[in-house]
Amino acid sequence: MMWNPRDVMAGMRSMRSVNRIRFVVQWCVAVLCGSLILTVQAFAAGDPAESLPDSWIGDLGPIPADKWNYDRAAHLLERAGFGGTPEEIRNLAAQSPGEAVEHIVHYEKIDASQLPPFDESGIWEPGMDPFPPSRAEAVRIARTEGEALGVKPLPEGESRRLQPIVDKFFFGLRANVLETRRLALWWADRMVATPRPLEEKMTLFWHGHFATSEAKVRDYRMMLAQNRMLRERATDSFREILLGVMRDPAMLVYLDNGKNVKDHPNENFGRELLELFTMGVGNYTEYDIREASRAFTGWTNDVLEFRFDAKSHDSDTKEFLGQRGPLGGEEIIDIILAQPVTAEFVVSKIYRYFVRDDLSEQTRRRLAAVLRNAEYELKPLLRTIFLSKDFFSNDSVGTQIKSPVQLFVSTYRKLGLKQTPTIPDFNALTGRLGQSLFYPPNVAGWAGGRTWITPATFLDRGNALHSVLFPPQPADFGHPDRALPAIYRKVEHRLAQGMNITNATRAGDSGSSMLAEADEDYNTRYGGYRGYVLAFDRVKLVPRRRGDLDLAGMVSGAGAETASEAVDHLLHRFLRAPLAASARTRIVQHLRDRLGTEELTGDPQALEDALRSALYIVLCAPEYQLG
Amino acid sequence: MINLNTHSNRSRRAMLRMGLGGLGVPLAMPLMFRRMAGALAADDLEGRSDRPERILVVVELSGGNDGLNTVVPFREDEYYRVRPTLAISRNDVLKVSDEAGFHPSLVGFERLYKDGLLAVVEGCGYPNPSLSHFSSMGFWHTGVPNGGEPLGWIGRLQDALTPAEVPNATVNIASSQSLAVRGRVHSPLVFDNPNQLRRVGTDAELGAIAGLSRGATDESSGLAFLRSTSKNATSSGKIVRDAWSSYQTPVDYGIGGGLASDLQKVAALIAAKLPTRIYYVTYRGNAFDTHVHQADLHARILMYASDAIRGFIEDLARIGRGDDVAIMVFTEFGRRIEENASQGTDHGTAGPMFIVGRSLKGGFYGRPPSLVDTDDGNLIMTTDFRSVYATMIAEWMGYRDTDPVLKGTFEPLGMFAG
Repeated sequence: MMWNPRDVMAGMRSMRSVNRIRFVVQWCVAVLCGSLILTVQAFAAGDPAESLPDSWIGDLGPIPADKWNYDRAAHLLERAGFGGTPEEIRNLAAQSPGEAVEHIVHYEKIDASQLPPFDESGIWEPGMDPFPPSRAEAVRIARTEGEALGVKPLPEGESRRLQPIVDKFFFGLRANVLETRRLALWWADRMVATPRPLEEKMTLFWHGHFATSEAKVRDYRMMLAQNRMLRERATDSFREILLGVMRDPAMLVYLDNGKNVKDHPNENFGRELLELFTMGVGNYTEYDIREASRAFTGWTNDVLEFRFDAKSHDSDTKEFLGQRGPLGGEEIIDIILAQPVTAEFVVSKIYRYFVRDDLSEQTRRRLAAVLRNAEYELKPLLRTIFLSKDFFSNDSVGTQIKSPVQLFVSTYRKLGLKQTPTIPDFNALTGRLGQSLFYPPNVAGWAGGRTWITPATFLDRGNALHSVLFPPQPADFGHPDRALPAIYRKVEHRLAQGMNITNATRAGDSGSSMLAEADEDYNTRYGGYRGYVLAFDRVKLVPRRRGDLDLAGMVSGAGAETASEAVDHLLHRFLRAPLAASARTRIVQHLRDRLGTEELTGDPQALEDALRSALYIVLCAPEYQLG
Repeated sequence: MINLNTHSNRSRRAMLRMGLGGLGVPLAMPLMFRRMAGALAADDLEGRSDRPERILVVVELSGGNDGLNTVVPFREDEYYRVRPTLAISRNDVLKVSDEAGFHPSLVGFERLYKDGLLAVVEGCGYPNPSLSHFSSMGFWHTGVPNGGEPLGWIGRLQDALTPAEVPNATVNIASSQSLAVRGRVHSPLVFDNPNQLRRVGTDAELGAIAGLSRGATDESSGLAFLRSTSKNATSSGKIVRDAWSSYQTPVDYGIGGGLASDLQKVAALIAAKLPTRIYYVTYRGNAFDTHVHQADLHARILMYASDAIRGFIEDLARIGRGDDVAIMVFTEFGRRIEENASQGTDHGTAGPMFIVGRSLKGGFYGRPPSLVDTDDGNLIMTTDFRSVYATMIAEWMGYRDTDPVLKGTFEPLGMFAG
């Protein structure tokens, strides 16, 4: 079936004028329906009677209005965002599919001004830019220029004259790590709180696609600027995103493009552009990589600003993918975008992120055509995907392994939290399961899908979710952003005992003379220790609070009065892949055993604990790993 | 170098190779011919791996080990010129050949070498080397330098060895999974502390969770995958914990702690007869990144590493699996030739790899890189590390079709006889 996304777009536009009135009407209908449906729908995990024909698989035509229901709306919110509460899902379900998708995709119409900007600690001081690549280099600069990192050596004759420079260097490293973790918490909070879930979900997609790690960039400001840029352009035009990334200081540093100069072209940038960002291997030659890299010579940054350095730029003739001329970077990008394979590469990756792993050749071509026809504008593509029968087909719903970030953000959203709890620590939760925001594992980003799951991470997902449901008391929670590594705890302890720096930083425990006499100008281990301490002083402390969980209120708000009704509500609220009936029976029995009765009465704390215990079992189910 | 020295338990396949060896392919035979001889033998073998009993243990030295102070070119005056404070003196070097000697801390390696159990591959690296820990380690992990390969070389190898998943085919002792072991089909067992491979919860909760998948049928492939991983996690967790609690060894692994303790976990699992074919352990914490005051630090960690590896080999013999295990030791890069101003060394390029095991032909492979003809002060590699991978894959693990796994053609070194 041929179907033109532009027609739908036109339809959407004409609809907008009456949107406000509709919204009010829909809201009333939703609330009314909500209260009516509540008793019927809140306890059942969907409508098991209805199964969809397999012909929907691969069909990009829009879902008919009469097939639109609560479960499909839940699927849309799960994939285009991070899931939501039954109330949010009912609001989407009460609209037409076109309106619901419009609401999700044209999120710029939703006011998000209540989301706070990142609250910077202010760790960069005059003189710290440009930050030296190594401690050795900082010391060399201090020796030759009499100052480094804005710090002067101590006067001649003082012991460890260069210690302040070394301390400052390690402060810079450590403070940027801590600040980047704060930045990740801020982002996680935004994902949980935003009324525009697709905006964050696409920003996360681009973060993986244009993988950049603070481990190499070592400057949270660049990470923040990149995150802002990716968010601002998240669903605009792929060309604009690509141009933004190629001029992005974090990316320029990450791929060493500062070293890509006329006399010594560095192929990192050109290679990743072709291989990972746009075309994929096999669609160009090593020669194309070299020529593209030449075109990007001189694309560099003055710390936080993109700069085109004409002196380093190779303006001679290049030959790239069959085109010749004194090509520059922007022209290279346009030649790449003109290749049919580029749109196919991009839509494949977006499809895998939002829909499922296997993508037929035909679907790839059709989606690529949608992207090209829209001149690489992304919203028409996203709308086509989210409206398609294929998106709602049996192969798509409840089949995707959640990323660690998705797992926790969606858990919080389904719990109805408005803020990301900081006990347990979000970065620690996702990190131990293989995903740390702003620290993708390599240039290829997170491989995703089944690679998230190992036997240990499978078990640990449950354990991590246990700590969400049963968080430690704030008094028992060690601040992860104030933790000294063991080696520096030892230094601190020895200094507190009155040892001098040389003795306190000895490596061996046996009192050997290791490192002794080797720290006349500065002591590196002491500098490492000081770096932590200075960073602790300067980086704002993350307030630690537990999530405001109220499962008892949640299930009673849904009208549940018995153990089985409570379990049914939990399954309905949390699972997109249904649980087998026998598994449900076990969980109901578990809750009954905990309560000692079928009724949800008695001590409120005991009821809350029992419900959390039941929910813990649900969240450990393999089905909960799928969204 | 078809050498069948110490193999006592010869399979039919080994006998076949022996036959070729018996034909008298001489040691000095041109490389071409030796390869043909290997190929003839391979043609006669069936299956994806002709050595299914063999185990590979990969040891990663994180941080970039200083190769020049590990395998010391003590004949080279240039070495002593560029390393005025750090060079290992000719008197201290543990001389193992006319050209090279080991760092004096490598007593364990020296003994392994003299017993014919240790091979040194010199000058290992890759074209266009990266001096970033992060990038270079990624290249060694994926086996695809300067590429964006999402899977690790061990993951790809396991997927090629057995297209259907074998539980616990790869065990990675680590707090987070190494990129090297990431595969499409095989999900490695990753753990740090064996006692952490357990679910938290009350007995009632654990009972209910265990029962969730009972009798489950008719599922998506994703759900089936999760269920099998779940089952694997539960059963492996118990196996690993049992293996660890029943393991005791009288063998001295040295005083290093970390790597020694991780190799003991591997020995425990091998003793417990897990079906694991590849173990991956790391000398952690970027320990080999010796920018400053290198001498004492490097001496210490080299001693820890070599004592642990020597102890591990002894322990394997005790368990009775000495013939079935080979160890490959690598690091993400060597260090710069010239020492820096802080009595340390900065990030460099090529460095030696070590292969240890009872079934190999010990000695030196490859050619030491030149200290004079350099790439802006960095060693120019002489052996592509993927040739060493190819050696381990084809000659040791018995999987001949290395090209798709390594995404290119790399010649094995002729280190294992069969």
